[in-house]
Amino acid sequence: MNVTTKIFAAFALLLATPSGVLVAQETPPPPPVTTQDILAGLPSDGSSWLTFGGDYANQRHSPLTQITPENVARLVPLWTFQTGTLGNFETTSLLHDNVLYVTGPLNVAWAIDARTGRQIWRYRRELPSDLTACCGLVNRGFAILGDKLFMVTLDAHLLALDARTGSIVWDVTLENYAVGYASTIAPLVVKDKVIVGVAGGEYGIRGFIDAYNVESGERVWRFYTVPGPGEPGNETWAGDSWRTGGASVWVTGAYDPELNLLMYGIGNPGPDYFGEIREGDNLYSNSLVALDADTGRLRWHYQFTPHDVHDWDATEVPILTDLPIAGQTRRVVMFANRNGFYYTLDAATGRLIVAKPFVETTWAKEIGTDGRPVLLPGNVPTEEGSVTCPDLTGGTNFWPPSFDPSTRTFFVNAREVCMTFFAWEPEYIPGDRFTGGAGQRVPESESPAYGALRAIDPMTGERKWEFRYLSPSTAGLLTTASGLIFSGDPDGNVLALDSRNGRLLWHYQMGAPLHGTSPTTYMVDGKQHVLVPAGTTLTAWALP
Amino acid sequence: MSPMHSFVLTTMACTLATAGLAAQDRLETNPFAGDSAAIVAGMGQFRQRCADCHGTDARGVRGPDITQVWSSGRTDGGLFQTVRRGVSNTEMPAFPAPRTSDRDVWQMLAYLRTLATAAPTEPPPGDAEHGALLFESECAGCHRVNAEGGRLGPDLSRIGSSRSREVLVARLRTGVDESRPGFQPVTITPESGPAIRGVKKNEDLFSVQILDTRQRIQGYEKDQVRSVVDGPRSLMPVFGPQRLSDADLNDLVRYLGTLRGFDPSVPPRPPVVF
Repeated sequence: MNVTTKIFAAFALLLATPSGVLVAQETPPPPPVTTQDILAGLPSDGSSWLTFGGDYANQRHSPLTQITPENVARLVPLWTFQTGTLGNFETTSLLHDNVLYVTGPLNVAWAIDARTGRQIWRYRRELPSDLTACCGLVNRGFAILGDKLFMVTLDAHLLALDARTGSIVWDVTLENYAVGYASTIAPLVVKDKVIVGVAGGEYGIRGFIDAYNVESGERVWRFYTVPGPGEPGNETWAGDSWRTGGASVWVTGAYDPELNLLMYGIGNPGPDYFGEIREGDNLYSNSLVALDADTGRLRWHYQFTPHDVHDWDATEVPILTDLPIAGQTRRVVMFANRNGFYYTLDAATGRLIVAKPFVETTWAKEIGTDGRPVLLPGNVPTEEGSVTCPDLTGGTNFWPPSFDPSTRTFFVNAREVCMTFFAWEPEYIPGDRFTGGAGQRVPESESPAYGALRAIDPMTGERKWEFRYLSPSTAGLLTTASGLIFSGDPDGNVLALDSRNGRLLWHYQMGAPLHGTSPTTYMVDGKQHVLVPAGTTLTAWALP
Repeated sequence: MSPMHSFVLTTMACTLATAGLAAQDRLETNPFAGDSAAIVAGMGQFRQRCADCHGTDARGVRGPDITQVWSSGRTDGGLFQTVRRGVSNTEMPAFPAPRTSDRDVWQMLAYLRTLATAAPTEPPPGDAEHGALLFESECAGCHRVNAEGGRLGPDLSRIGSSRSREVLVARLRTGVDESRPGFQPVTITPESGPAIRGVKKNEDLFSVQILDTRQRIQGYEKDQVRSVVDGPRSLMPVFGPQRLSDADLNDLVRYLGTLRGFDPSVPPRPPVVF
């Protein structure tokens, strides 16, 4: 029998098999992902991880308890997946029906069998050679709804992929990459819309947040993060400076279903360091904006760093929870900012509840009762350079924090680094960098840099405990209901600590640090897995 | 204009443009090297386009340190192409014409060159042959040149193209403020046996990897030893006038200035006894 005949015979046999027998032999697959599944957050059975932050509140707190402080030291690796590409993971993998959906650098993406780490399909985008993406040719993850995956690209497109095959369902252009737009954010599905933003704050773009219809890819609304003439906030930009105002959006925000509000952190104003040509507060750069999820209209905003000149994007991850404040339960948003301050804000109004430094901050004495920073002199970058703490990478940055609601503790990987900031007047050339300055680290001998995992009380901003690293870590965090926190140090170790006191319980040298992303956890065949993205590898761990 | 005329003119224009480009592509040395006006203009270009990633002093922030590119063997022409074309699959962007002119690129490189080495103003003093003998007796215990010598200090086979005479004199006379990564002194005290001294090659929270004074590379787990103690500053001694006269200093620095990269044709010296 030749090959063709064999295939034909097998096909004929399959057709002849009564379909009822097939169905009876197999467990029906779970239905495609619904908006209800996403709303439910991380399920108690650990069967899925469907959004960037695990749930719309971005808590990255798993209800799973199989792995505990007592047994975590017995974790063993199950498998390792290697990307075979240049560049490192900054992604949060999604899990649905025992399949991991993973985006990697250079817009390569995979569906991976969560049991074995074996690839099911691979998608690779042909990228133009003249990309203008700053700060890592990375991607921070998929969003999922129904049988579609959503991914942004370095050439500023939004794609919908078929979750079963990785083939393109639709492809829309967000903006023209050639003049500095790119996109690296993990999209967020809210109802029938997929929410994305654009990077390019170092290229003089005009930032925005977009909503697209999940089925058609049609744009439903756009919110410009730099208001145009006639719009409120445009007066906070001198002259025409709003045109190149930056204010990019490259980290996924939170969504509050009851308030129907999206809350997204907005990037730095352009040019980054030379503020003289953009006098004013420069709204909505360095702000948290709360948008109506149906219309994209601004409900409130809070600007952490008015008229920023240190490249302190507010593109950190906001986390939502309920807290008892002055005898009342209030919905709040918690935010550890690149400028070195930790904030608790009212989620309905944006009003400031708590603001306290979580690292050394030399640029502001405190946050005043009016919500504005009380500035200290000598911190404006100059031609000669001026020293400020924190540095341009910030007290923290885009690596996700986590929150344990049972102990009301906010966790963040903090950096203690100072920098000499320089500024000079830049020339705007479309597609060219437009930063107007640079930073240079203060020498170790003058100001030793280090990092620490810090546990913060969100009702006071006070530190509960810290675990120090030799140098600053850029790892995201994951907590579990069993009292664990997973982190990474800058030297390639993945760490598990007791989330109540910061005691180190387990570590493993991955060969590359977790950078900008967290471990995630879920159940496969009755076993709790911990998935660690580090460098070009994904490794799944479980108890023996 | 007839279509044929138009075709001919377009073809000519393309040919001329290509020829111009090819001519620039073939330039191997920087036409603006050492031109003070070009260096000032290049500083502006460098700050606008490069400093954000490579730092104002080109020693690296997000991007790598590029002050040693010439000493590592890159040429003006090669660097011109790197700037023009970028480095694919990295963040190093291309700076294509016409947005960035050839003059802009050469001026940026002319400025960068000033950060790499200080231009000598007069012929360097000293006797290199005598300097080589001094190196043998004073330096080769810790430093290697052309695959000969010790390993506790940095390899100096190309020090002449990466450090100016002024920097070398300062390092010898006043010592080194901070050890380079990989050369920080460290002492490890095991649970039993004598302390082990060496330089730190790597470290994380749980372990340290060293080259010890017997030139053995070895890793130690911190919870398996009694202590790991960092040494002060650097093992590099200060060579004051008592130890090295001004004339000897000139000879030694003159010799170091001749070291421009590993040269396999140089016959190995007799083995050094430590």
